[in-house]
Amino acid sequence: MGRRLLRWLGLVPLAGLTVLVLLPVLWMLSTSFQASEKMFQLAMEWIPAVWHPENYPNALHRAPFPLFFTNSLIVSTVVMVGNVVFCTLAGYGLAKFRFPGDRFALLAILSTLMLPLEVTLVPTFLIVHSLGWLNTYQGIFAPLLVDAFGIFLMRQFVLGVPSDYLQAARIDGAGELRILWKIVLPQCKPALAVLALFAFRDSWDQFLWPLAVVSRDEYRTYPLGLVRFAEDYGNPQTEQMAVAVMATIPVFVLFLLLQRLLKKGFGLTGLKG
Amino acid sequence: MRLQLWGVAFVLPALLFFVFFKYGPMGWAFWLSFTSYDMLAPPRFVGVANFAGLAGDPVFLQSLQNTLVYIVASTTLVTLVALLLALAVSTRVPGARVCMSGIFLTNVMPIIAVCLVWRFLLHPHGLVNQLLAPFGAGRIDWLTSDATAMPAIVLVTVWRFAPYFMVVFVAALAAIPAEYYEAAAIDGTRGLNRFRYITLPLLLPQLFFVIVVAALLSARLFLMPYIITGGGPGGATRVLSMLIYETGFSYLKMGRAAAISVVLFAIVLALTLAQMKLFMRHEET
Repeated sequence: MGRRLLRWLGLVPLAGLTVLVLLPVLWMLSTSFQASEKMFQLAMEWIPAVWHPENYPNALHRAPFPLFFTNSLIVSTVVMVGNVVFCTLAGYGLAKFRFPGDRFALLAILSTLMLPLEVTLVPTFLIVHSLGWLNTYQGIFAPLLVDAFGIFLMRQFVLGVPSDYLQAARIDGAGELRILWKIVLPQCKPALAVLALFAFRDSWDQFLWPLAVVSRDEYRTYPLGLVRFAEDYGNPQTEQMAVAVMATIPVFVLFLLLQRLLKKGFGLTGLKG
Repeated sequence: MRLQLWGVAFVLPALLFFVFFKYGPMGWAFWLSFTSYDMLAPPRFVGVANFAGLAGDPVFLQSLQNTLVYIVASTTLVTLVALLLALAVSTRVPGARVCMSGIFLTNVMPIIAVCLVWRFLLHPHGLVNQLLAPFGAGRIDWLTSDATAMPAIVLVTVWRFAPYFMVVFVAALAAIPAEYYEAAAIDGTRGLNRFRYITLPLLLPQLFFVIVVAALLSARLFLMPYIITGGGPGGATRVLSMLIYETGFSYLKMGRAAAISVVLFAIVLALTLAQMKLFMRHEET
């Protein structure tokens, strides 16, 4: 009995730490419902004395946020699907097939981790420009469609699928795509969940690249719209936070949907190579 | 033979993508870095003039220094804090898993929201100063003084990224067989020694992974200083990626921007090679 009590007591510092880490998130939530004149009070009012849920619709009306969010959703969904498809194919190919130059291919793919968009910004912009893709959806998502980290993740996971299963299916006359679909993929769900979440999140977070290729409201993604909104001093800061909360929802929902699978999948993000 | 073709077919789309969107652009950046190009007239070869210009440019040198300081500081602190958080949530305290999921939420918040929220929190009248007030801290102007602006950016980075790497360490800690600790307990190894001689050596692959990925992430830093400090005060938080954007897109000096990109790439390459070398040496022993 005493031991159990002692173990529960251990939760106190841990819970305190968790709350401390989450204070900025709670601050965002609380502020988004606060009256704008209460932004910089001497003492933080964590639970608003008067709730102002109208901050949300007001923010949506003050700037074309529904359009910005739609643009971001379109781009991020395409990026997520692209990563899931291409990273799975490449990861499977690298894990279970031997062909001339396979080790070189793996090295060439992993080396692209050293070439993020921040480094290749100027020439990538010039390529997209020469394709006539400035101010288009494809201009925003094309350079994000495949990520080396996703390929590495899928390769590590597929390595754990017994090759005997694949061999047995081949002897039964199953085609290669059917083997991938029916045997490999069902065993890779945790890795696919991690891949999908991070591909969506990273695209949802993109700022510098859309900033470079988008100059028209029609294709502006929400981070560009939100920064513009924040720069205009006429806009209440509480409404900034309302938009920030709304921007958190899609990733949060995806996280909740995939949570069961993610628990199994996270272990793999740090697998040894 | 048939299987070899399938293997190639599976990998080829990704490879072609990288040739078109990674290696091609990097090659082009190398070429452009030796030219003067404003997107109106065709690129004009100018030799090493761009690099010579950078070497004498105090704004570039300051940004280079900021980038290096930031990479070292944030990689070290992110790794350290991630490890400490992982140890804290890996205890067998009831509710530890819930705490882990809670802490991980800092990764669910969009980075733009993170930046806007912290800009308010670090305001002279913001929450950070309110919380520090009982400890006798005065009104600190975090974002507008030279000494605190970069540490503030590092703080936000740690808050955002340490919980992600925490998850990597938690998984690795869970994979350490309990027998190792039991054997150590019989030998009387406890506390810090137990961590030093059992946990740490078994965590080395993940530690290496986290350091490499955190360093690559921090070399890409753009949004946090862009939003939180605007690169200020007086350029104290301006980093190379911001300089690339300004040079290329505000001043349309594409050649010079490409030259800065080459420098940033050289930093990333040097970091990666140095870490690989360090790690290989450790593996051999």
